[in-house]
Amino acid sequence: MPQARRVALVSGGSRGLGAELVSGFLERQYGVATLSRTKTTFIIDMLRSRRRRNFHWRAVDGRDHEALRAFVKEAGEQLGRIDVLVNNAGIAMEGILPTMRVRDIVEAIEVNLTAALVLAQACSRFMLRQGAGCIINVSSVHAIRGRAGVAVYSATKAALDGLTRSLARELGPRQIRVNSVAPGYFESDMVSNLPDAEKKRIARRTPLGRLARIDEIANAVHFLTSDQASFITGQTLVVDGGITC
Amino acid sequence: MLTTPTLGQIESIVHERIRALLAERAGEVGRLSGNEKLSATLGLSSLDLALLVAELEAQLGVDPFAKLVSITSVRSVDDLVRAYQQAFFPELERREDHTVTAAAKRAQSRRARTKRR
Repeated sequence: MPQARRVALVSGGSRGLGAELVSGFLERQYGVATLSRTKTTFIIDMLRSRRRRNFHWRAVDGRDHEALRAFVKEAGEQLGRIDVLVNNAGIAMEGILPTMRVRDIVEAIEVNLTAALVLAQACSRFMLRQGAGCIINVSSVHAIRGRAGVAVYSATKAALDGLTRSLARELGPRQIRVNSVAPGYFESDMVSNLPDAEKKRIARRTPLGRLARIDEIANAVHFLTSDQASFITGQTLVVDGGITC
Repeated sequence: MLTTPTLGQIESIVHERIRALLAERAGEVGRLSGNEKLSATLGLSSLDLALLVAELEAQLGVDPFAKLVSITSVRSVDDLVRAYQQAFFPELERREDHTVTAAAKRAQSRRARTKRR
C-alpha cells in the first residue's frame, strides 16, 4: 500500500458521521483507517472503490482493548504514520438511570469512553514520535446541557470533554492538538429513532430552526484537523445551531 | 527487532535512545552509568519518558508499561533498562529488590500509612 501524505484514523467509520468523515478525509487526500463492529455497505463500497489503496478497515469491537491497540499498530504500519485520530464511535444508551441495567452502563462507558482513551493512547505514541498530531473527540451537546433519559450517555460525553482539556495540556509540548466537537441534533441513525413530533420540537427550540446536516458536523472536525486551526487546542467546539446558547 | 536481544543489547538500545533525546537539547552527551535519575539528574519530563517509551516500542516491539510494569516505578536509567529486560526475560521478575517489587512495597507502605491516619 503506498504511503499517503497524511493519515487519519476514525473510529466507527462504517456509517453516519463516521462514514462522512472517512469520505471527507479521503477527498482531502488523506490515508484513512477505520474500525467498526460490522462491515456495512459503505465499507464494502469503499473496499471495492479505486480509493481502497488509501483505505484500511478492520472489524473491531470497541470493548476489546487489545484489538484496538493492535488495529492502531497495524494501521500505522500499513499507512506509514498517524496524523489524526477522530474518536467518533459511540452508542446511545437511552433510558433513565434508576432502571438501567448495570451491564448497559458498563458497555456505554467501554464503547464511548474507554475505547477513546485506548485509541488516544495508542495513536499518541505515533504522534509523539512524529512531533505533531491532532486528536478530535466527538462529544455531544448532552455533555453541556442535561436531558432526562441520557444520563449515562451524557456522563461519557462530558468525560470526553475532560479528556480533551487534560490531554491537550499533556501533549501540547509535542505539538499534538486535542479538541472536542460537540454536535447538537443532526440527521443520523441515532436521531432517526426519534418521533417526528420530537424532531419538530427540537427544531423549534434551535435558533437556526432545524437539525444539522451531517456534513455540517463533519466540517467542524475537518476545520479542527486542518492547519487553519493550528493554534486551537483543549477546546470544545459546539455545533448545534445555537440550541445550547 | 526480529530476534530476541540480549540483556546487554537492551541496555545499549535504551541508553542510546536516552542519549539521543538528551543530545537534541544539549548537544553531545557522555556515557550513562545507569544510576542517573531520569527526572532529577537528566531533566527528563513525563512527556519525554512517553516519547522514549514510544520510540523503544517501535524499535524493540514491546511495551513493558502496557501491563507488566507501572511507569511510576521507573526513576533511574537502570529502572528503565530493567523494565525492558524484564519484558523479554520475565524470569528477571523473581530477583530480589526488583523495581516492581520495591514499588509494590512502597505502595503497600503508603496504603498502610493512609489507613492509620
